[in-house]
Amino acid sequence: MRNTMKVARWEIRRNLKNKSFIIGMFLTPIIFLAFFFVPQLFSSDDEAATTTVYVNDGLGVYEQLEAAAANTDWQMEPTEITESEAEAALGEAEDTAYVFVTEESVETGKVTVYTNEDTDSAFMDEVQVLSAPLQMVQIEQLGLTPEEAGVVAQGIVFEDASVETEEGGLFAENMLERVIPGAFAAVVMLSIVFTGMAIFTSASQEKKDKIAEIILSSLTPSDLMQGKIIGYFILGIIQVVVFLVIALPVLIWQIDFPVLEYLLVPELLVLLFIAVLGYLLYAALFVGIGATMADVSTAGNFQGLVMMLPFSPFLFIGPVISDPNGFIAQLGSYIPFTSPGVLILRLSLLEEWPWLEIIIAIAILAVSVWVFMKLAGKVFKTGILMYGKNATPGEIWKWIRA
Amino acid sequence: METMLTVEGLGKSFKDKRIISNISFEVKKGEIMALLGPNGAGKSTTIRNIMGIMYPDEGSITFHNSAGKEIPRNKIGYLPEERGLYKNVKVMDILLYLAELKDYPLDRAKERALDYLKKFGLEGKDKVSVEELSKGMGQKVQFIAAILHEPELLILDEPFSGLDPVSQELFKEEIRSLAANGTAILLSSHQMNLVEEMADRLFLIHRGTRVIYGPISDVKKEYANFKCTINGANSLALLESLPEVERVEQTGDAAVLYLSKDIQPAVWLRNLPAALDIQELSIDRISLHEIFIDIATDKNLLKEASELHA
Repeated sequence: MRNTMKVARWEIRRNLKNKSFIIGMFLTPIIFLAFFFVPQLFSSDDEAATTTVYVNDGLGVYEQLEAAAANTDWQMEPTEITESEAEAALGEAEDTAYVFVTEESVETGKVTVYTNEDTDSAFMDEVQVLSAPLQMVQIEQLGLTPEEAGVVAQGIVFEDASVETEEGGLFAENMLERVIPGAFAAVVMLSIVFTGMAIFTSASQEKKDKIAEIILSSLTPSDLMQGKIIGYFILGIIQVVVFLVIALPVLIWQIDFPVLEYLLVPELLVLLFIAVLGYLLYAALFVGIGATMADVSTAGNFQGLVMMLPFSPFLFIGPVISDPNGFIAQLGSYIPFTSPGVLILRLSLLEEWPWLEIIIAIAILAVSVWVFMKLAGKVFKTGILMYGKNATPGEIWKWIRA
Repeated sequence: METMLTVEGLGKSFKDKRIISNISFEVKKGEIMALLGPNGAGKSTTIRNIMGIMYPDEGSITFHNSAGKEIPRNKIGYLPEERGLYKNVKVMDILLYLAELKDYPLDRAKERALDYLKKFGLEGKDKVSVEELSKGMGQKVQFIAAILHEPELLILDEPFSGLDPVSQELFKEEIRSLAANGTAILLSSHQMNLVEEMADRLFLIHRGTRVIYGPISDVKKEYANFKCTINGANSLALLESLPEVERVEQTGDAAVLYLSKDIQPAVWLRNLPAALDIQELSIDRISLHEIFIDIATDKNLLKEASELHA
């Protein structure tokens, strides 16, 4: 174990002294934030536009109209200009509309609105809110009592009373309680898995540089392998910490919901446990495969295929989101290579956690981790000393059986 | 002298191919023991088995200074045949890492590393990245790495390959002084002349089996007989009929006569028949180099003799 930690410390130090690692570490959260905020910057540009609405009020209902338009982004002004003057004024104006409310409007039920091409495109929909006060005037003129008038003016509304009471989409308030820990666990897992891919480079580089034999004269192959796995795990965690330190304050500042409160829940522990198991499984794969390769650039089809396994959960994203308890989601939870990703995704979506399934899935995952660590150990022991040559699947099979 | 390492009856096969069999030898404190053999003889395999990098199919390896079955890795220094170092790492960092793996105190390791770098003409290179070093420099750094932790047993696999003569001398001197200070050294090589100068004992291996094992002086006495080279038109029969001639190698007009062990050259020369056509004649001892070539090319000049010696 002491030797394992020496190797782990070495791998950490070596990477932390490596410029490209450091740059990558700080660049990732910055790129993430950029992707997160840049689209927002563009969309908020649109919202800032306020339409100036001039109302020529021939009925004395300006106050009611203003009240009706309280929820809009308009800048309302009473005006006395005529229709022809309005047309002329619109020639130069920006995002402006003229509304002419007259006796005629009440009789015919039509209100003339002058706009130009700079007027916000949504304005003609928004302007319909002004119809209610005018309807009231219409109804009053018909001589109904105020109560009758009120009933008529209310109109008929079709109310949504479907059974899906609370599930208001992925980002509804109560959904965040589950999505945030899940997203965090996913970030942790992706980060350690991506850093873990460096295990693969590290193992094959050690082979290429022919230093493995010197190292192995001081410690056992399993010390070396475990040291690498632990070292890159810690590097991944360092990456997550840097990510959080940079990104979290910005997220909390920009988004007004209590991120930390949602994040620090007991469920997070289960999710993180799954993420760590996932890392160990992929790390075993990377370290084993890395030891079979002479050079990263000479990866064969077999090695390439294995390298793709950590991405297999992406196949399940669609089906799991559409039905988090469906057959495919369950299947994905029981296949070791997809289960970390699928479980984290499912548990983020489900309100009620299927504990039995979770326990079975974690048990399968844990057993797979153990088995693959053993296999990787065997492959690593032989492979790391086989200089200058890629191992064939046949050879790897032989080492495993040896 | 105290024995540090005993190898007994070592054997190893890959698939159906026998790489080494029945290899037995000892390495003692303060001696340089040479493991000699042509390429592919099984030297590196033997060493890798000793280092626990491979596991022997049969035989035993005993480290006398350690309790238990574990290889006392911290007391062994190892320079493998395949040379390599981490590329994008500073020289001092890698030396300290390797010393740390041997549980050697780091402050002392640093001091010793600086001393050795200076000794090998690499002063000021401690902060240089490994990839900027030349091949010879890299080899020196590896040699330092192998001896930095003051090992009791030093195993050097082909330490001189790829070195220029000046560096070779440096290495030779250092290896000698380590042995003089009590380090047991097992050195493999295919360069007989180097070994002849510095080794105390040798183990000659060919096709995975022992050919000669013993102190260099004994081996020389035993095998390095006189040989006489004659240029002249002589028949093979005539040459073979000469006294004390064990074997004749003739190519064209040149003939090499291998003489038996206890001849007196002066007496032997005086007794040469007048019928012999001599254009040129030289007489000298067979060098270890020739013994080595002889074995490697399967002439088996010495085979019977070595069996006797064994």
